[in-house]
Amino acid sequence: MSALTFAKIDQTVLDTLHPAKRSYWILVALLLLGVLAGAACWGYQILVGIGVGGQNNPVAWGTYLINFVFWVGIAHSGTLISAILHLFRAGWRNPIARAAETMTVFAVCIAGLFPFIHLGRVWQVYYMLPYPNQRYLWPNFLSPLMFDVVAISTYLTVSTLFWYTGLLPDLAAVRDKAQGVRKKIFTYLSLGWTGQHDQWRHYTRGYLFFAALATPLVISVHSVVSWDFALGIVPGWHTTIFAPYFVAGAIHSGLAMVLTLMIPMRKVFGYEKIITMDVLENVAKTIVFTGLIVGFAYGTEYFIAWYSHNIVELESFRWRAVGDYRFGFYIMVICNTLIPLLFLIRKIRRTVVLLFGISILVNIGMWYERFVIIVGGVAHGFSPHAWGLYAPTVIEYGIMFGSFCLFFFLFLLFAKHLPSISMTEMKETLEKGEAHAT
Amino acid sequence: MDRRTFLKIVGMGSVSLAASCSPPDKTLYSLVQAPDDMVTGKASWYASTCRECPAGCGILAKNREGRVVKVEGNPLHPINKGKLCMRGQAALQGIYNPDRIKTPLLKEKDGWRPVSFSEAEALLQRKATHAAKTGPGKIGMLTEIVGETLLKLFTESLAHWKSQRPMIFEPFAYESLKTANQKVFGIEGMVSYRLEDADVLLSLGADFLDTWLSPVEYAWKFKAMHALNNGKKGVFIHVSPYQSLTGANADQWLACNPGSEAAVAFGLIREILKLGRASRLPRALRFKIENTARFYTREKVSELSGIPPNLYEQLIHRLIRADTPLILGTGTGATGPNTLQSNIAVNYLNLLLDSKLSLFNFDERHRIGLAAIRSEVLEFFKNLDKNSVELLLLNNVNPVYALPSGSGIRKALERDSLFVVAFSSFMDETAELADLVFPARLPLEAWDEYGGKNGVVSTLQPAMGRLTGAPHLGDVFLRAAFGQNGPTDNYKTYLVSGLVAKGRIKDDRSWIRTIQRGGVFEPWAPASQKRRSIPQSAPRSMNKLSDPFTSGLSFIALPSIRFFDGRGANRPWLCEVPDPVSRVAWQTPVLVHPKTAEMHGLRQEDVVRIQSQWGQLHAPVYITESIIAGTLAMAFGQGHTSYGRYAKGVGVNPGDILTADLESISGGPLFAVGEVTVSKSGRVMKLARMYGSRTQQGRKFALSVSLAELNKGKSTEKSGLTMEDFPITLPLRAGYDKKRDFYPPVDYENYRWSMVVDLDKCIGCAACSAACYAENNIGIVGEDRVIDGREMTWLSVERYLDPQQGEKITFLPMLCQHCTNAPCESVCPVYAPHHSKEGINNQIYNRCIGTRFCSQNCPYKVRRFNWFSWNWPKPMNLQLNPDVTVRSKGVMEKCSFCIQRIKAAHTHAKNEKRAIRDGEVIPACVQTCPTSALTFGNLKDDNSRISKLAQTPRAYQIMGYLNTKPAVIYLKKVRQEI
Repeated sequence: MSALTFAKIDQTVLDTLHPAKRSYWILVALLLLGVLAGAACWGYQILVGIGVGGQNNPVAWGTYLINFVFWVGIAHSGTLISAILHLFRAGWRNPIARAAETMTVFAVCIAGLFPFIHLGRVWQVYYMLPYPNQRYLWPNFLSPLMFDVVAISTYLTVSTLFWYTGLLPDLAAVRDKAQGVRKKIFTYLSLGWTGQHDQWRHYTRGYLFFAALATPLVISVHSVVSWDFALGIVPGWHTTIFAPYFVAGAIHSGLAMVLTLMIPMRKVFGYEKIITMDVLENVAKTIVFTGLIVGFAYGTEYFIAWYSHNIVELESFRWRAVGDYRFGFYIMVICNTLIPLLFLIRKIRRTVVLLFGISILVNIGMWYERFVIIVGGVAHGFSPHAWGLYAPTVIEYGIMFGSFCLFFFLFLLFAKHLPSISMTEMKETLEKGEAHAT
Repeated sequence: MDRRTFLKIVGMGSVSLAASCSPPDKTLYSLVQAPDDMVTGKASWYASTCRECPAGCGILAKNREGRVVKVEGNPLHPINKGKLCMRGQAALQGIYNPDRIKTPLLKEKDGWRPVSFSEAEALLQRKATHAAKTGPGKIGMLTEIVGETLLKLFTESLAHWKSQRPMIFEPFAYESLKTANQKVFGIEGMVSYRLEDADVLLSLGADFLDTWLSPVEYAWKFKAMHALNNGKKGVFIHVSPYQSLTGANADQWLACNPGSEAAVAFGLIREILKLGRASRLPRALRFKIENTARFYTREKVSELSGIPPNLYEQLIHRLIRADTPLILGTGTGATGPNTLQSNIAVNYLNLLLDSKLSLFNFDERHRIGLAAIRSEVLEFFKNLDKNSVELLLLNNVNPVYALPSGSGIRKALERDSLFVVAFSSFMDETAELADLVFPARLPLEAWDEYGGKNGVVSTLQPAMGRLTGAPHLGDVFLRAAFGQNGPTDNYKTYLVSGLVAKGRIKDDRSWIRTIQRGGVFEPWAPASQKRRSIPQSAPRSMNKLSDPFTSGLSFIALPSIRFFDGRGANRPWLCEVPDPVSRVAWQTPVLVHPKTAEMHGLRQEDVVRIQSQWGQLHAPVYITESIIAGTLAMAFGQGHTSYGRYAKGVGVNPGDILTADLESISGGPLFAVGEVTVSKSGRVMKLARMYGSRTQQGRKFALSVSLAELNKGKSTEKSGLTMEDFPITLPLRAGYDKKRDFYPPVDYENYRWSMVVDLDKCIGCAACSAACYAENNIGIVGEDRVIDGREMTWLSVERYLDPQQGEKITFLPMLCQHCTNAPCESVCPVYAPHHSKEGINNQIYNRCIGTRFCSQNCPYKVRRFNWFSWNWPKPMNLQLNPDVTVRSKGVMEKCSFCIQRIKAAHTHAKNEKRAIRDGEVIPACVQTCPTSALTFGNLKDDNSRISKLAQTPRAYQIMGYLNTKPAVIYLKKVRQEI
C-alpha cells in the first residue's frame, strides 16, 4: 500500500469532480423522474384529500410519519460522526465525516418534508408559526408537534452550517484547481478563503464550537421526535424509555445508512485507500453497540408491560408479537439486533459485500421498527371496538419512493460536484502521523 | 414584440390567471317575498306523521328558510311520545333523494319519456274512463297502507270506475298473528299490547324493538317494564332462532330451531295446565288444548327446540311466578309452517295466565291489521289476467322486489293489454315494469291523515315547499275519477270534511288546532272494535304442527331494523349506520353460527352460494353466535336491481331463495325454508364492519352489574389508581386532585355540559346515530370507505359481546367524552381542539391543519377525520343543517354536544334574562332516543337530573383511570339471570 500524501489526497478527491460520464447523468435523470413521480403523488393527494393514503380510524398516522422518523433517524449519525467523534478525537471518522454530514443535511431536509406531506391541510401549515395576529392565536407549545418544529429546524440549521463550515477549505481547494464558470461558482462559495493563518485559527475554533453545539442536538432531536409518541397516552407509546431508545435507534440506522452509501462510493471513486477497511470495521463495531442498545430497549418494553400489570399494555405487547403485524415485529427484532451481532465475527465485518448487505437489512429493520411502533400502538389501542388495521396505498408508496429518489438524487449530485471527502481533515490526520486510524 | 404588446399580454395573462383562481361566487340571496312565518335563522316546526312504516309515529318537521332539515318525534303523540327510530330520521332522505323522479315518465318503445303532470293525469283519466266503460272490475289497485281518508277516496274512486276496493299490500302483514287473533279471540286485526305493565315478558320471536308492529312505541313501553326501577326490573325472555336487536336486549335469549316456537308455547301451556290454572276456560276448549299440549313434555320441547333443559325449566318457573306475564307471538322474521300454531298457542297461553287479558288492548288496534294477507295479494295478481283488468294502479308498493320471484308478479305486470300506473317517486323494481310512473307528493309535502292505531287521528301537513311539481295523490284521484263533479274540489277539503263528518274534529277551526298538535289524541274507540267473547272451541288447525327444521340447513329471512321491507334501502344514512347486532354497514351478510361454519368449512368473509329449491344467492359469511347452529339467516331490504344509486346492486335480497308458497291456513308468506345447501364460491368479500374486537377485552368500557349485587348495596369500595378501582372523577373543580393532576384545575362558568348514558335503558337501536347524521351534516362515505375504516359517525353504538356467552350483548353509545383533561387538546399544535368555558371540547374546523394527533391520542377513538370532501348530490344538500358547518377535506371533527343547540338555548335564556333550565338543551341524540337512555344537562347545577344520576351507584366513567375526567358518565347495565 503506497503511502498517502497531501497531493495524493487532493488528487483522489478532486478527480471525482471531473465531468461525469453519460451513465451518471442517466442515473441522475432516472432519480429525478422518481422524485417527480413522488411529487405527483403528493400533488394528487393535496388535490383529492389525504384519504388517497391508507390511514384511517384508528390508525391516523401511516407511512408519512414512519418515513419522517426514519429519515430523522438517518440524519443522526452524520452529526454523531462529525461532531461527537470529532470531540472524542476518533481519527477514523475523518474519511467518512463529509459524506455522513451531507447525508445528514439531505436526510433532515427529506424528513422535514414528511410532516408537510402528512398534513390534512398543508396549505394552512403557517398556523404553526407564532406570527402576530389580531385574534391572538398562538401555537400550542405544549404539543410535541411544536417541539418537533423547533427541534427539526434547529437541527437543520446547525447541521447545514456545520457542514458548510467544514466544507470551506475544501471549496477553496476546488476553486484553485477549477476553471471557467466552475471557478466563479467556487470562488463565490468559498467565501474568500485564502488559507491564511488567522483564517485557519478561526476556522478550527469555529469548527470545534460547532461540534460542541451540535453534540447535544444529536441527543435532543431524536428525543424530541420520540416525544411525539411518548407524550401521547397510546399504549405502546407512553413510556419514558422512548428518548434514549429512539436516539440509539436513530444512530443505529444512521450508521447503517453510512455503510450503505460509503461502500458503493468507495468502490466507484476508488477511495479504498482513504476509506479503508478499518474505517468500515469501526462503523460495524459501533453498529453492534447500537444494535445491542436497541435490543435492550425492546426487552425493557416487554418487561415493563409485564411488570405494570396493565392489561392494556400487556395486550398491546402481546399483540405486537403475535398479532396482525407480527412479521413487522420479527423483521425489526431480527434485522436490528440479531443480524448486527454477526459483526462480532471479524471476518464478516471485514467483508465488504456482507457489510453492505447487513447495512441494508438494518435499514429495513429500522423502518419496520417505526412501523411497529407508530402503526401498532394505535391499531390496537384502548378502545377494543375501534381496533383496526392499516396498509399503505400506492400513493403512499409513491411518495416514499420519491423520497428515496430525492435522497439519492441529491447525494449523487453532491458526490460529483463537491468534494465528498474532507481533504482538510485527511491532511490533518496525515500530518499528525495517524493517518486514518490504523 | 414592442413594449405595449408585452404589457398587454402580461396584463391579460395576469387578469385571467387571477380570475381563474378566484373562489366561486358566494352570494346570499334573500327571498323577495318570504312567507309570513319565515324568519331567517329561525326554525318553524310542523307537526306531521311519519310514514316510513305502518306504525304511524308523530313527528315534528323542522323547517329552516323553506326547507325541512330535520324531523323529530312529536312529544304529544301517544304512539311515540316524541321519539323516533332511525328510519323515521331518514325520511328526509326520501324527499331529498337525488334519484327522486321529478316528472311523470311514460314508457315508450325506446325508453322513458318525461311527460307533464297534466298530460299524465289526462292519460290516467282516459285509461280509467275507458276501463270503466268496458265493464266492471277492469281497474285494479294495490296500495301501501294509507290513512282512512285516503283509503276511502281510493275506494270511492274505484267504485266510481265500477271496480273493487283497493288491495292493501304490505310485505309484512303479520298474517299468522292476525289469523291467530281471529281464531282465538274472534277479532279481526292486530291488537296492541300493554307491554309496560308486564313483569315477565316472553317473546316467541316478536322483534318489537326492530320492526314488529310499532317499534318505537314498544321500545319505550319495554323500557318502562324492563329498566331498573326502585331496585326491581321486569324480566324479558326471547325465544327465537336468531338474535335480533330485540333478542339482544333480552335477559336471556333462548335460541330455538326455526319452527319450534310452537313446541315451546305448547310446552308452556302444558306446564300451566298442570298447575290447574285453566279452570275458567270452557271445558271443551280446555280439553282440546290439553290434548295438543300434552305431547310437549319438557324433554320433548328441549329436544325439538334445542333449548337447554335447565334454561327451559327456568323459563317455566319465571312464567309461573309472574304476576302480570305477557307472551308475544312470532313476528315477521323466520315465519315458517308452524308460526300460526305458535301464535294460537301464545294466545291461549296468555289466556291461561291471565283470563282477563288485561295487557291486551283490543280497542287500539294497529292499523297494519288492515293489510291484505299474502294469499289475497297473490290472488289479486292472478285475477289481473283472469278478469282481463285493463288498468292497474300501484300506490307506493314494490311487490316485484318484496315477493319471491316464483310469485309471478313480473309476468302479471308485463301483460301487454294491462296499463300499469305506478304512483312512485323512485324507479324501483315495480316502477320499472309500469307503463306510467307518476310521482305523487311525499308525506312530508302533503296534507293527509294516518292513525297508526285505532282511535288516533294523526295528521300530515306539508312541512316545506314543493321540490317537484308533483300533485297530491288525493287530488289526482279526485280529478281523475270525478272531474268537476267530485265531492270536494281538493283533497284537503275532502280530508277536513271527512274528519268533521266522523266527529273527530268539530270544525275548520279545530282543524287548525289539530294540525298544530299533530292530530287528535284523545282516547276514542268506535263500538265495533270491542272484543267479542272468546270462541268456545279451539281451531282445528292448532294441532297440525309440522316438525321444526332440525335436520339439514335451514334458511330464514328477517325484516331489517334499517331497511324494514326494503323501502329504506335508498336512504344512505340507513346504509351507513351499521346493523346494530352485526355492526356491518351497507352489505347483507349471511349470519352463520360458528358450529355451522366449522361443519361447512366456512370462514368469516367467504362468499358463499346458498341454494334452495327456489333459487340461489351469493352472500358474504358473518360468523356469529346470534343465530342457532344449523340455520342461516339474512336480513331483508337490500339487493335491489334498481331503486336508485344507494340501493341498486348493494347487498343481497334473501327473497331470491324464498318460496312463493304460502302457509296454507293463514295465507301468509314463509320466511323460512329448509334443506338449503351452502357452498363456497371461492371469493372473499371484505365486510364493511365497524368493530375491531367483539369483546371488550376485560377493559372498563361497557360495564354491567347484576341486580342482586346492586341491591346488596355498595360493596366494599376501595379506591386506588388502577383501571379496576379508580374512583369516579367528575369533570369539575371537585374532580381536581393535586396528587394526580399536572395542570391546574379548570373552573367553568355557570355551566358544565355533560351527559349521562344509562346502559340499562339503551337498546342499541342506533336512532341516536341516525339523528346525529341528520343534525350535524355528517358525511356519507360509502361501502368501500367503511371497509377502509373511514366512517364519519360521531356517535356509534358500540356492541360488546360477553367473552364467555357470545349472545349476551351490551350496547355502548360512544361519543366524544368532552373530557376535562382531554388528551386531544394538549397535543394539537394549533389549538384546534379548544376547551370551552362550559367544558365542551370544541373542534375549531377553521383552525385544524390535519395533523390527526388528537385522534391518535383519543383513548375512546371518537374523532373522525375528513379524508376527502364528501358530497351531497343535489338536492340532498338542501337537507344540510344551516346551523352546522359543512366540513371539508383535511379537518378533524367529532361530537360537539350539538353546540348549535346549546348556543340557541343561551340566546333564548339571555333574551329572557335567566339561566338555562335543566332539560332546555336537548342534543339530537338525546331527543330521539326511544327509551330515554340519554340525559343531557349541566353538571355544575347540583339539582340537575344528570348531577343526581352521576351520584348513583351505577355511575362510572370509561377508562376513568386515564384521569381524562370524561363528561359522559355511564350507568352500568343491570343484568339478571332468568
